[in-house]
Amino acid sequence: MAGYHVVLVHFPTALWMTAALAIIYRALFDGPVAQAIDKALVPLLSIALVFGVSAYAVGLFVWPFEAISGSPLGRNHMLLATWTTAYWALLLVLRWRRGQAIWQGTMRFVTAGLAVIGAVLLGITGTLGGHLIGVYTDVSQVLRKMGWEVYTTFYVPNLTLAALGAIALVLVVIGYRARAVRA
Amino acid sequence: MATSSLYASTILFGGALALSWFTHGTGTVVNDAKKHINVPTTLTVPLQVQAAYNGTDVYFRYRWPAPNAGIFHDMLRFTGGKWEVRGNAVPGSQRDGLHEDRVSMMLDDGAVPEFGRYGGYIAIGDKLAGFTEEADAKALKDHPYLGKKLGLDEPTKYLPATRSNQNDWASTVPEAEQAKLQSAGYFLDLWHWRAARSNPVGYADDQFITAGRLSDSGRGAYSTNWDGDKKQPRVMFDPAKSGGMKALKWDDVIAGKIAQGAVHGLSEEVSAPFDANAAWQEGDTIPRRMLRAPQASRADIAVAGKALWADGFWEVTLRRRMNTEKPLEDKIIRDGGAYQAAFAIHRQATGGRWHYVSLPISVGFGRPGDVVAAAFTGDAPEWKQAAKQVTLFYPGQVSWPHLNSRTHGGADSIGKGIPVKARHSEEQLAHYGIEAEFAEPIRRQWFLTLFAGFGLIAAFGFALLKSIPKREA
Repeated sequence: MAGYHVVLVHFPTALWMTAALAIIYRALFDGPVAQAIDKALVPLLSIALVFGVSAYAVGLFVWPFEAISGSPLGRNHMLLATWTTAYWALLLVLRWRRGQAIWQGTMRFVTAGLAVIGAVLLGITGTLGGHLIGVYTDVSQVLRKMGWEVYTTFYVPNLTLAALGAIALVLVVIGYRARAVRA
Repeated sequence: MATSSLYASTILFGGALALSWFTHGTGTVVNDAKKHINVPTTLTVPLQVQAAYNGTDVYFRYRWPAPNAGIFHDMLRFTGGKWEVRGNAVPGSQRDGLHEDRVSMMLDDGAVPEFGRYGGYIAIGDKLAGFTEEADAKALKDHPYLGKKLGLDEPTKYLPATRSNQNDWASTVPEAEQAKLQSAGYFLDLWHWRAARSNPVGYADDQFITAGRLSDSGRGAYSTNWDGDKKQPRVMFDPAKSGGMKALKWDDVIAGKIAQGAVHGLSEEVSAPFDANAAWQEGDTIPRRMLRAPQASRADIAVAGKALWADGFWEVTLRRRMNTEKPLEDKIIRDGGAYQAAFAIHRQATGGRWHYVSLPISVGFGRPGDVVAAAFTGDAPEWKQAAKQVTLFYPGQVSWPHLNSRTHGGADSIGKGIPVKARHSEEQLAHYGIEAEFAEPIRRQWFLTLFAGFGLIAAFGFALLKSIPKREA
């Protein structure tokens, strides 16, 4: 399955990177080109997500699960792939459900920032996948300099897990309160 | 409200990402002596290697950094009116510095084909000494072949074909099969220089690896200086031959104040029978090992010149006859031959598996290789050729059974014969070795992190979605 996974990942990589550029362009400009690009965003992100989920699913069969979850690089690749897919799904839902509102006021810069983070996550995921097959970029060197040795598993301690849980809870509360205010 | 919710959500999400980044990798990799876990702070160490030969003898020259000269092993200290053993092996560094420095080399002539591809990994079998899951010592001693026949008292390295089941250290193939394998050259020669237990008498230990780590035939360079019945040393330093000294001083030993050139090894030349009635004082210290000139095949490997530590580096040159005429214990070196070697060092008072090892390299004698042995005439090589820079790494707990199991993604590659160097660097292997020591805790923490991150993204998406008023496209 490794060959199929390698072929498949080209699609979400290309589509999500294109989407990132489109979002940044749309965040910066309001002209007819930007409007046209914006109209293509939901289909673009939808197709990317379909390919992304497909590549993810196929990737689960490249190695036995004991192996992928037993290898630091394998774990990292899976972790980043999960987060990347979830993150771009978030962007799709935002644009799909909130339409032009994501380009209003300061929200447009938040959207652009989200696209940049999405592109970074995607780049790291791809680099880690490259490491697994022995073909990789210097992105891992940058990550090392920033404090993460990619040959070690990315995990956080229990205290941080608790903090993440608490933050997630606060985010949900913020969401409910915002909805209540809007209602 | 929408704007403030948006800002709050974004700041919280960014904060969560930052918190994850700055705390990742902490809290799980913790030393635990009960589980035989002690992770060194330095993961890789450079080693320089050169080789030379003159048709009769072969020389290997090693140079590696060591913070201090570890010239002592276990000792007997006079404490509170009685003698007690100090310096037993522990996970990691022995706190008093009582474990000798070493350099060792496994050597093969191609008769162990996996060795050239995977090096020492092939000899790390099931439940070896020092692993968290270690074979039972009593079961080993009671084992009819390993314990009763070979006399092994701890689970040492062994080669895969000496077992019928790679996941069972006890599953030795029949003795006749073992003999056939060894006759066919299925063993690794092991050169083993020890700063305390062989160097003072000018030798390196000559061993080999088959069903276990075994010593060549003949007498070794050391024996135990402990009379268990009388609970005292068997011999002490002879004051007449040791500058008036009958024992070392403990404080000098652990402070590293005893120079390499001073008498410090308890060889036959400087020792005398122990005198229990001498005026022993608190802190008097005698080596637990008696040294002697090795004999027969065990004496094949000599130290050429002096092995010296200076300016933070050991420099050791070993010499052996190319043809020792012991083809069942030694790899015979031939001009025109190509060999495989892997190296290891112990430093900073470590023993057992707390060493730094190399991946396999090739050594050519009149042939190309990673190390090309220089041909010379006369008695001493000139060492004009550049040394091979080898990266040694801390191997952690990675066994051959694991590498060939479903838990290793590269098991198929091993099955196809793809060499380890094609897939992994030494730095990578050092990190992987450590992660293998904490496999389950790290896997659990990784799972939790994965789901926590997923949940955070979902919660962030929910907050954004509810904070932004809908507008038609």
